[in-house]
Parts: sequence; C-alpha cells; structure tokens
Amino acid sequence: MFRNLKFALNSAWQSFWRNLAVSLAAVVSITLILILAGVNLLVGHAFSQVLDGFKDKVSEMSINVADDTPLQSVYAFRDQLAADPRVASVKFVTKAEALSQFEQDPNNYALAQQIDGNPLDAKLDVRVRDLTDVSAIDAIARQWPGVDPINPTNYQGDFVNRMLQLSSWLGIAGIGLMAILVVVSVVIVMNTIRTAVYHRRKEIEVMKLVGATEWFVRGPFVIEGVMTGLIAAAIALSLLVLSYPPAVARFSADISFIPLSYDPSFISSLARDLLVGGALLGALGSYIGVRRFVRL
Amino acid sequence: MVLTPDFATRPVISFQHVWKRYPTGTEALRDINLVVPEGDFVFLVGPSGAGKSTMVRLLIREEKPTKGKIFVEGIELGRMKRRQLPFYRRKVGLVFQDFKLLPNLTVYENVAFALRVHGEPDSLISNRVAEALDTVGLAGKELTYPANLSGGEQQRVAIARALVHAPRMIIADEPTGNLDPATAWEIMQLFLRINARGATVVMATHNREIVDLLRRRVIAIDAGQIARDDRSGRYHEDVSKPQVRAQ
Repeated sequence: MFRNLKFALNSAWQSFWRNLAVSLAAVVSITLILILAGVNLLVGHAFSQVLDGFKDKVSEMSINVADDTPLQSVYAFRDQLAADPRVASVKFVTKAEALSQFEQDPNNYALAQQIDGNPLDAKLDVRVRDLTDVSAIDAIARQWPGVDPINPTNYQGDFVNRMLQLSSWLGIAGIGLMAILVVVSVVIVMNTIRTAVYHRRKEIEVMKLVGATEWFVRGPFVIEGVMTGLIAAAIALSLLVLSYPPAVARFSADISFIPLSYDPSFISSLARDLLVGGALLGALGSYIGVRRFVRL
Repeated sequence: MVLTPDFATRPVISFQHVWKRYPTGTEALRDINLVVPEGDFVFLVGPSGAGKSTMVRLLIREEKPTKGKIFVEGIELGRMKRRQLPFYRRKVGLVFQDFKLLPNLTVYENVAFALRVHGEPDSLISNRVAEALDTVGLAGKELTYPANLSGGEQQRVAIARALVHAPRMIIADEPTGNLDPATAWEIMQLFLRINARGATVVMATHNREIVDLLRRRVIAIDAGQIARDDRSGRYHEDVSKPQVRAQ
C-alpha cells in the first residue's frame, strides 16, 4: 500500500513536470474558475456582512411615550415587554436623555441650536430577537394607552424585509453560479487530464498488460489532478487575498452608503474552501478523464 | 536440447468450441478446440488475418470469446471478473512485435515496471531485474534508454520484463517480426531457454525459417479455424511425410 502510494506520488510529480504545457493549461483553467468562485464567496460574505449590520440597526425600535403618561404605567409596560420572549432588551429613555442623545449627534448640531424647550418624547428603546417579530411588537405598542398617538413607533421593518428577500435571492443565485462553475471546471479538468492521459496511453496500456490494477493506473492521475487543483487554489487564493483589501477600500470610497468592510477572519474560511474545492475538482476531473483509458 | 512436450501433464490452456465475432461482423475464430499442456512450446502460424492475433488477444483477455470457453490454469477467462484480470496477467509474460517499452524509462526501469505494478519491494525488484537482464544478456545496459538500443536489444528488454516475475506461461505475438534473421534467431534461443526452464510458450509468428528449424508444435490457423495441429511441425504442411498430429 505504502509502496504503491510512493509510486503514485512519484509518478504524478514526474508526469506534472514532464507534461508541463498540459499541466499549466489545467492550472490556469482551474485558477480562473476558482477566482470566479472566490469572488462569488467574497461578494456573498460582504453582502451578508452588510445585511448583518442593517439587521442590528433595524432590530431596534422606539416606542414613543406620550407626555402625560404616568411613569408607573411606562414602567409596567416596560416590564411587560421585557417579559415577552420575542424581546431581547428594553430601555427607558427619558425626555431629557432623548434630548441629550439628539444634541450629541453632530448631524443635529444646527437644529439643536434652534430648539426651544424639549419637543422630544420619552421613549422605550426595544431590541427584538428576530426581525420578523418587529411588526408584532409594533402592534402591541400601538395598543398601549401610553403611546404617543401622533408618532407611536419608529422602525425600518419594510426595508429589512426587502433586504432579507434580496439576500435569499442572492443566496440562490450564488449557489446556482457555484453549481455552474463546478460543472464547467470538472469538464475543463476532465478534458485537460484526458489530453495528458492520451499522451500516456502507451504507458497505461503497458501497465495494464503487466498486471496493474485499475487503481494503480488511475492513482497517479488522480494525485496529479489533486496537485493541479491545489496549485491553482493557492494561486487563486493569493490573487484574491492581495486584491480583497484594495477592492473593499475602493468600493467603500465610491459607494459610501453601503457599510462594506475588510474582514480578515474570512480569509481562513476562503482558503479552506478554495483549497478543498480545488483538490476535489482536480481529483474528480482526473477520475472521470482517465476512466475510459484505464478500464480493463 | 529440444524438449518434447509431455502431453500427459495437465493442460495449461484449453480452448473449447471457441468462436469470436467482432462487432464489425468479422468472424475471426470459428469453433476452435485445442489443449496446450504445461511446458509446451506452441507456434501459431497462418496468413495475416487468419485469427492468430485474436487467439493471443483472447489468451491475454483483451477480448472475450463470443461463444465457447477458454481455460488457463483452470480459470475460465470469459467469466473472469474485471478486478481479477490484473492478477491473471501477473501470471503471464507478454512479448509483442513492437516491444511496448516505455521510451522515457531506462532499461532497468522498464523491466522493474512489471514488478512495481505488483507492489514488490525495491530490494526484490533490484535482484530480480539484475537476474532477468543477465538472462537476456543485457547486464551493463541498465541505465540505457530504449531509443539507444538496437531492435534486438529492445526485444531482449521486453523479454526480460516478461520474465522478471517468473511467469509459468509466456505469450508472444510476432516477437521476431521487426528483427533481422540473425537477431531473430538469438531471440528464439532466449525463448527456448525460458521453455527449457519449464514455462509454457505460445508464440504467434510469420517466421517460416525459425518454425521449420525448431520443429516444435505448430498450430496452423486459416480463416479462423485450426487447419492443422502438428506435434513437430513445419510452417507449411509437409505433404511428402506423414505428420504426427498433436491431438
């Protein structure tokens, strides 16, 4: 077993260098496919990052308290909300605190200068656990007698729902794109390896005639495919890692309202996905490519 | 020394009513029946397209018979499973007209190749290859590549590769077809020595001089049928003398 593995590794290594032109063609093809796959993964990750940011913001809602509502009633409603399993946290913000928050926001500086007195409502800042529950909590708040009837609540539920829909569609599109890339790359690798195998058909014929098993013949080609896939994945990964931060910086500069940021922690999962994907593509392409010639 | 085959010994090869029709419709063999005992030396002769190569291809299980049964050492080749085939081929030594050497491997590596695919250890490979190259008279040429050898030397390498795993049967398809008469004779001497050691040899050939000189068993194939099977035959039927039939 070990001797056969050693033979297969040696043979794969020699064949890779001996048929360098064909090997490089396979590396380039898989690299391009893995770059596309990597860009797909990065865009998907960036989008989910942006969406997570939005989700954090919009899972918060404010329930505005009418000025004449007794404090005890506010506390009772706050406790009622806090006991609701759908609610993650509730915080009471007094009128004075609301004004102070308003004034601290640099965007409101000019407006704050012109305000006389405190026109702001006291409010209950509620964070819900699941975005889909925002509208239910909103309905409860609107039925509470202490709510400000003119401006009962503030939240961005519709926007979130649209984002969630968009996200699920993008997810499906991403999976579809990945499936196409996998099929295309397997076909490319298969044909490239088949070319390499065709060059070595005499060797394969001799192997079979002297009693090599199918796996003994196939092994070196599958290992060569894995090697090709790993080299391609390493190249694709290097290019993606190098271009990821400047691409994010450029995007953020051009489209500043979308809060995209560079996430170094994603590199390790991208590396794992590309290396495993490259190795599997190479192995599968070789396995299929060599089948016709190997069959005894 | 010429050994007379012992027909009392157990049969190594047995064809029983074997027919072979290719998908193109060509009927290559028709109702072939023959028995080859252990240690026999058999020439398969006949014109091109007579069916000699088909018999060789059936023997090495590159083809299956359309009808009938072929037994080699008790194994029915037609019913052999694909995964058993490599192990069958390891029992047989094969020699071809075009040598089938790998040009990018040295003489040593070509011969060692047959043992590498069996997963043998390096120490055993090294001893066996040295022995096989010594038998065929190529000791000292281990590091030479096939392109730098003469046709006769290349065929010797192929024979060394066929011998290196000590098979009990050698199947050769026109092994002297590409060689000049003197070299062909040297190669035949090798086959005779291998046969003298006990291996059964089945050889398809067009080489009339050699067949006539060696006077071994001759099976003449014509239009897919056995035209004659002489225990001590010639390439063409000798009408002046009565023949001793093998069966």
